[in-house]
Amino acid sequence: MFNVNRRYIADFDWALFALALGVAAFGVLEISSVEPSPGLWRKQLVGLGIGLVLMFVTTLYDYRRVVNASPYLYGIGIVLLALVLTPLGKTVNGNRSWLYFGSFGFQPSEMAKIFTLLFLSYYLAGVKKRPLDLQTIVIAAGIWAVPTALVFLENDTGSALSFTSFFAATLFLAGVRWSWVAAALGALVIGLVVSAPMIKNCKSYKCERIKAVYWPDLAEKRFRYQNDQAEIAVGSGAIIGKGPGGSTQGTLGFVPEVHNDFIFAVASEEWGFVGSSISLTIYLLIIARLIQIARRSRERVGLLLVAGLAALLLYHVTVNVGMVVRLLPIMGIPLPLMSHGSTSVVATCFGLGLAISVRLRRYVN
Amino acid sequence: MASGNRQNFDSTEDLRLAGMRLQVIYYLAIGIFGILITRLWFLQVMNSAVFADRAEANRIRILPIPARRGTIFDRKGNVLVTSKSSYNIVLSRRDVRPNEFPQMAALLAENLDIDPKWLANRFDAAKYEAQYESIVVKELASPADVSWVEAHQYEYPMIRAEEAPQRVYRYGQMAAHAIGYVGEVSPEELKRPNGQFSKEEGYRLGDIIGKFGIERTYNDILMGKDGERRVLVDSRGRIQREIEVIPPIPGRDFYSTLDLDIQKAAEEQADTMPAGRGAIAVMDPNNGEILAMVSRPSFDPNIFSQRAKTPEGKEEIRELYEDPDKPLYNRVIQGAFPPGSTWKLMTAVAALNEGTITPEKSRVQDGDLQVGNYLMHSMSHLGQPPIHDAIVHSCDGYFYRLGIKLGVEKFEKWVSAFHFGQRTGIDLPHELAGIAPTRQTKQKEYGWQIKKVEKQLEEATDKTFRGQLEFRIKQLQHEAEWTDYDMAASAFGQGRNASTPVQLLRYVGALANGGHLHTPHLLFKAVPGVDRKGVEHGEIRYEDKNAFDVPMSDEIHKIVVDGMYGVVNEGGGTGGGARVEGFDVCGKTGTAQVASRDKAGSKTKDHAWFIGFAPRDKPEICSVILTENAGFGGTHSAPRTKAIYEDYYRRTRGLPDLAEGTKSEGAKTGEAKKIGNATTGNAEKVKATQ
Repeated sequence: MFNVNRRYIADFDWALFALALGVAAFGVLEISSVEPSPGLWRKQLVGLGIGLVLMFVTTLYDYRRVVNASPYLYGIGIVLLALVLTPLGKTVNGNRSWLYFGSFGFQPSEMAKIFTLLFLSYYLAGVKKRPLDLQTIVIAAGIWAVPTALVFLENDTGSALSFTSFFAATLFLAGVRWSWVAAALGALVIGLVVSAPMIKNCKSYKCERIKAVYWPDLAEKRFRYQNDQAEIAVGSGAIIGKGPGGSTQGTLGFVPEVHNDFIFAVASEEWGFVGSSISLTIYLLIIARLIQIARRSRERVGLLLVAGLAALLLYHVTVNVGMVVRLLPIMGIPLPLMSHGSTSVVATCFGLGLAISVRLRRYVN
Repeated sequence: MASGNRQNFDSTEDLRLAGMRLQVIYYLAIGIFGILITRLWFLQVMNSAVFADRAEANRIRILPIPARRGTIFDRKGNVLVTSKSSYNIVLSRRDVRPNEFPQMAALLAENLDIDPKWLANRFDAAKYEAQYESIVVKELASPADVSWVEAHQYEYPMIRAEEAPQRVYRYGQMAAHAIGYVGEVSPEELKRPNGQFSKEEGYRLGDIIGKFGIERTYNDILMGKDGERRVLVDSRGRIQREIEVIPPIPGRDFYSTLDLDIQKAAEEQADTMPAGRGAIAVMDPNNGEILAMVSRPSFDPNIFSQRAKTPEGKEEIRELYEDPDKPLYNRVIQGAFPPGSTWKLMTAVAALNEGTITPEKSRVQDGDLQVGNYLMHSMSHLGQPPIHDAIVHSCDGYFYRLGIKLGVEKFEKWVSAFHFGQRTGIDLPHELAGIAPTRQTKQKEYGWQIKKVEKQLEEATDKTFRGQLEFRIKQLQHEAEWTDYDMAASAFGQGRNASTPVQLLRYVGALANGGHLHTPHLLFKAVPGVDRKGVEHGEIRYEDKNAFDVPMSDEIHKIVVDGMYGVVNEGGGTGGGARVEGFDVCGKTGTAQVASRDKAGSKTKDHAWFIGFAPRDKPEICSVILTENAGFGGTHSAPRTKAIYEDYYRRTRGLPDLAEGTKSEGAKTGEAKKIGNATTGNAEKVKATQ
């Protein structure tokens, strides 16, 4: 379909690639710095290698072919998510989100996010209406609801909510009436206001995690522990940090899941405000780049797909960093490209590969 | 919005509109990242110091290295008090999450043989003592306990064996009141402004301080400063490595003036006191060094230093506090009684100095004396004896009249010259001042009675009743005047007069040495070393800043000493029981009358005093013995003095021990417990020497 030639090399989005590779390398460095078990950073490198290969392969294909295959990919994603709920699934850290084939394990929800996004873009791009009618919205919601419900059943709230990020973004861009957007936001605000007193009185662990952030005095001490320790890690990093390998909060085990969901806490501890703000800026540049690619896309489907990716990435970074700096309750979701976890890295690379592919094909119709 | 596009879908227009909406998402992203970076600024730039401290506190544990408390020796270097090392099993509170406590309790109860109920109470109590970093779950742990803890250090890093030195009082009850005991500093003591053990002085909760006796007075010498081991731990409290060791500053060794041999002899004598109550103190009259100090009943200080936290120990301590005989009282400095006839020497010194009598013309009428409505009895009727005979035979009638002749002004002058009614300033806590028989004392006593009636008068309305009250006030005012009866009673040591044994000890020392009143003390020397605050000290010796003299000419001194020699060595002397062949013992008996309505009990008998010194010409030791509720001083306290002096005399002159069979048992094996068991043997000896 497409050959690696001079034009491919010139048009390839090297900036996006360099930014992504930069944070991924930073992630590997930090994993090697805390090293909860020896050689973990090598596993991450392997995952990153697979991801990069997949990314290049994806760019070689016309993204439209991938989009056209999306109903099947979506179906595969649903099946995998359902399999997790069978005895094949494994529970790690309270989340039943792993599938194991022998010693090789992966998290279907990470892949399912991309597949669902592809299918949503495929469906919404096919609807030639603006603004969207109710029927379209209901069908789109159905596409969104099935995987979301399954992930909810896996007890992985953070990931379940991540489906909502690109669902909302694609619907918004595909042309939901402003009045409906306003109504949805209004409902959200009312919902938050109404649920606040209920959460204060509720004792489930999810409520406790919320209280630990917004009403720490009401929360049980053991639920505050992770927030406290992450906050201490970030704060004690000060301006220039404790230097590579200088983390005490991470290496001595005070911060939980330090190579994984809380990798940003250690990065902030070792590299200070300088490191944390630079890495956040890189994420912002990646998102901005994706939004630019989306805007320059000559097709509705490319625009929706890349914008959805940007929304998914924005959600992940916001929720992950928000939880580390104690602005949001703790939800177990990885920081894209930095957190340890092959599935997440591979899925993110795949998504970026799709975005680069869209950019490569911005002139051809 | 472009509503016209509903039917004909214009894909270019669609992309344009979507592009505009993309811009909204873009600004949203910038806004979110702005918030995140602001938050990072807040945490990492504005408040980094707070979190840096918390990160440090997280990973550093300070493990105490206890400082050894100084050893207490007697003057010759015999060990009286030492410390032995023992271990407490503690639970590091910071490394146990609240929900792990039940599990921890079960583990500890099973493996360290701790009563689960007790442990549950301990954990409950620990909730309210946030000051302590660790909870003591077992005290005086066995070697097996310690090795179990060490073997499981990796699995249960929160359980640690902490060294906790225990104070060992080698002779138990012996000299317990002089030596004192140690215990944990109380929160009240820490709070007391300018207190000896206040926070400003650097004391902290959990510190072991001296509570009583030498341990308390000389705490600054004896107590060292604990060292610290700063270690890096991980989130489970497992020690990763040592950062810094601050070595402890050990306490300085202390040599007391006590003489173990004399102390043992005195203890033996105290053991035979009929009511089990009394006091003995022996001093060097040349410098005020206390050679022995006994108070009965006594207690075992090891209860406080080793068992204060166990239920059995707490019960023992409660019993000590509730005992009506007050074993925790140091009667030598806290027991104030009328000095009785021992006081006559003071009256004699006063009268001779004031010229009321002279060495040549010292005859005064003896016998009963009618004073107003009272007939004051005298045991002796010797006509008109000279002062020497009056002392030897302890003539009450002689001293009634001598006191009246002397007059209250001159009498009071001499009472204050001897500092009666004032603390001696001995280096022990809680000393009583006693009561001096002066007009002021009497006025004070009536003063508050008058005040009571005056208050009644203020409230009274009935005229007759008011008249009665006014009359009563006048009556009391009249009664408050100093009378001849008061004078006569005071002159021979009764009346409003209460002296502590240590006051009489200093007094007899001055009579022995010709008028030098040295402050009794227990500090012999403290070895050079560094104190708790890091200041270097050389050898510390006692400095007697409060010593003073009473004027006593050689002539008067000779009369007093001759009289006291006669008391012990002349026929008819009241203190013959104290005679030691070759040692020239001098002394004076005294009997303090006990006013009690309980005629049947053992507490109705009089207290027996004996003060003495020896030898006559170059005194080496002086002593006071109080035998409570025994009877006459000559019968009960003089023979005890003899036994102590004889032991001293034979030992210092290299003579063989007299009653080897009965006596050596307690004296030579040096076991405190055996002193108590040897009671019967000693009782026989006392009879034999009477």
